[in-house]
Amino acid sequence: MAEFTASVYQNEFLPDGGTDVNAIVTVTCTGAGTAGQSGGGAAGEVIIVDTSGSMGPQTMAAAKQAAMAAIAEIVDGTWFAVIAGSDRAMLAYPQVQSGPGLVQANDATRAEATTAVSRFVGSGGTAISTWLDLAGTLFASVPEATQRHAILLTDGENREQPGSLDAAIRRATGVFQCDCRGAGTDWQVEEIRRIAQALLGTVDIIPEPSQMQAQFEEMMRSSMARGVADAQLRIWTPQGAQVLFVRQVSPTVEDLTDRRVVVNPLTGGYPTGAWADESRDYHVAVRVAAKAIGQEQLAARVQLAIGDNVATQGLVKATWSNNSELTTRIDQQVAHYTGQTELAAMIQEGLAAKAAGDEATATTKLGRAVQLAAETGNDEATSKLKKVVDIQDEREGTVRLKAAIAKADEMALDTASTKTTRIKK
Amino acid sequence: MTDTQTCPACAADMPAGTLFCESCGASLSGAAAPDPGARPVDLKGALPADGATPLDEAAPISAATRPAAPAAAAAAETVPARVPCHSCGGPIGPDGYCEQCGTKAPSERDHFREAPADWVAGVCDRGIRHSRNEDAMALLASPVAGERALLLVLDGVSNTDDSHIASLAGARAAREVLRTPLPQGMGTPEGRVAAVTKVFTDAVAAAQEAVVATTPAGSVSPPSATFVCVVVEGNRLSYANIGDSRAYWFPDGAPGVQLSVDDSVAQQMIASGISRAQAETSPQAHAITKWLGRDAPDLAPTVGELDVTGPGWVMVCSDGLWNYASTPEELTAQMQAAGVTEPAALALALTDFANARGGIDNITVTLARLPGAPAGQNAPAETGSAGSVVDPEEKN
Repeated sequence: MAEFTASVYQNEFLPDGGTDVNAIVTVTCTGAGTAGQSGGGAAGEVIIVDTSGSMGPQTMAAAKQAAMAAIAEIVDGTWFAVIAGSDRAMLAYPQVQSGPGLVQANDATRAEATTAVSRFVGSGGTAISTWLDLAGTLFASVPEATQRHAILLTDGENREQPGSLDAAIRRATGVFQCDCRGAGTDWQVEEIRRIAQALLGTVDIIPEPSQMQAQFEEMMRSSMARGVADAQLRIWTPQGAQVLFVRQVSPTVEDLTDRRVVVNPLTGGYPTGAWADESRDYHVAVRVAAKAIGQEQLAARVQLAIGDNVATQGLVKATWSNNSELTTRIDQQVAHYTGQTELAAMIQEGLAAKAAGDEATATTKLGRAVQLAAETGNDEATSKLKKVVDIQDEREGTVRLKAAIAKADEMALDTASTKTTRIKK
Repeated sequence: MTDTQTCPACAADMPAGTLFCESCGASLSGAAAPDPGARPVDLKGALPADGATPLDEAAPISAATRPAAPAAAAAAETVPARVPCHSCGGPIGPDGYCEQCGTKAPSERDHFREAPADWVAGVCDRGIRHSRNEDAMALLASPVAGERALLLVLDGVSNTDDSHIASLAGARAAREVLRTPLPQGMGTPEGRVAAVTKVFTDAVAAAQEAVVATTPAGSVSPPSATFVCVVVEGNRLSYANIGDSRAYWFPDGAPGVQLSVDDSVAQQMIASGISRAQAETSPQAHAITKWLGRDAPDLAPTVGELDVTGPGWVMVCSDGLWNYASTPEELTAQMQAAGVTEPAALALALTDFANARGGIDNITVTLARLPGAPAGQNAPAETGSAGSVVDPEEKN
């Protein structure tokens, strides 16, 4: 049985008249078990492989290998299907016209699916909205598969009318989770990140076909380890208080503020998707009415709920004090993740400015990113930044854009921008 | 059975059998399931049918002076309902905070209310600035208004070790001494005064013994406390004090008087001719010259008595209240401004007044409403029922 715990890191002391409370809440899950086997419904997996004409022979071969490797990782009993995606979505396996569009994994069905994948041929364009819609239809055909996850591989830019992809993302949101991977460098990071963020998944670049198989195995293995099908982050705030923002800040930065759904007048719910044995950190900022010096009050109850059951709760407090030694201290965790969030924004904004030809802005933003990566000890970001800029002074954040930048390095920096590091607690 | 128990107020662990939390001072005796939330006792409304206060179970520091009906024993075992948030009236969550406004519910030790009879009530509150409530009170009252009551307040001195535990222990010990009617001496006024003084001295000694008993071994700052009490017996108020907690008498329609005389630097300044206002705002104003505790300089209480005629209020309070209204006139004004005439409601209103003014210290307000009994009832011991005082521990 999965167990959740919550720890709160904050400086609860506010100065006279202070209103804003910041806290990092770490939620940890243990004993998650295996997907679909915790009694909360079965698991469903859909593997979506881009089979458009842009997939070169080498990439297609690698994609087939990767899809087969992912199929091999699917745990017995899991409902699954394989979609071949081009300018329309084709159900490659199981080959059914009606009825349930997913089959349960066993040696026979995995072998049949592998054979189906081996017949993939690249042709046609890229209409990702149809891929997502078909996945949604397949999941809907097997209601007992309540833990729904997809893996999406593409190598190119979406070729559809503006708005159709976003509409499909909206239809899929809350229906299934989706990890996305881009092969090569002809796809749009921003576009695929939009899918992954809305569908509570990850996004990454696979620059070389040879790396594809390992990535697919890893994605499927991670998904199969998520024994908790779905959970909701809940934040209670006192009457009259205002939630300034709610962000997941580890393992990646995701702004959840606008994903609030009303649980009750004082409590908002935020989707978190499925959980494996893992820890996630959330940065919660709440504005409360100031009280007198010496008063203590609760600024937020941060809970993780499974269905209607609250599995764990962390308390964010506010205590007004006139001791400036207490009130001026900034919690180390809050400072760290505030820096990491800004780091993600600086990388994305810097790369966007560079793409728009605004080198001055790009240099400033990426310089600040270098500085923040160093300050917060994000070595992965530093090493990826080094492939895009020449660092003159890390502490001051003085950099120069490299004259020649490999596209893959730039995309790797972009996709990894939201990954954060932890500090020792 | 486990060897440890958890404090319902602050969740600290301590050996089983401990009566008060070593961490926060909350009462542990009789506590049912560990409950992290606070359960202040609301006696503003109707009392339980048996007349017992819900706090009796957990901390028998006040008692009705009438035996409980047998049925009450079973009823008393039910856990008292959690009172609504003191700030907004919302429900208190199991985590000890209001589910509506988030205000921290005070622990039982940090805020408790008692009303042993409908004419006697008290509120003992942490205030705002202090981190814990080091005040304590103990009340007794006969069911018949004006017959017999005890109002007793100890103000634990801050910056001493565990003074919140010491003050409560001291209040309980002194209450036991004052449970029986005051002696009448050998029939002469002098003899009676000497006998009453002896009883008050014994009460102080009992409180002192309890305070010293709570002193942690090797304490360099032993717990200390003030002491003030009024015993109401018919038309006679007998009072005693050590330190600067106070007793007042407010007759209806006439100027109020402060009965107790502070043992404080401020009082010495007033005695030497400096104005009260100036003395009480001087830097040394709150320095007390007498107190209970291991390092007590002098344990002789200042004792007095007053025979009253008409109806009025007896008030025994800590400086958490009189800091904001020191003179009888100022206090009378606040009592009138409160707009309530029921003792429990008035005590709460005066506590709220002190908190609204900053709540710089712990606040204790105890009140007895005297109906103005006809003359000739100055010897309640002879009337029988007035002397029947019930031990709350026996009652359970």
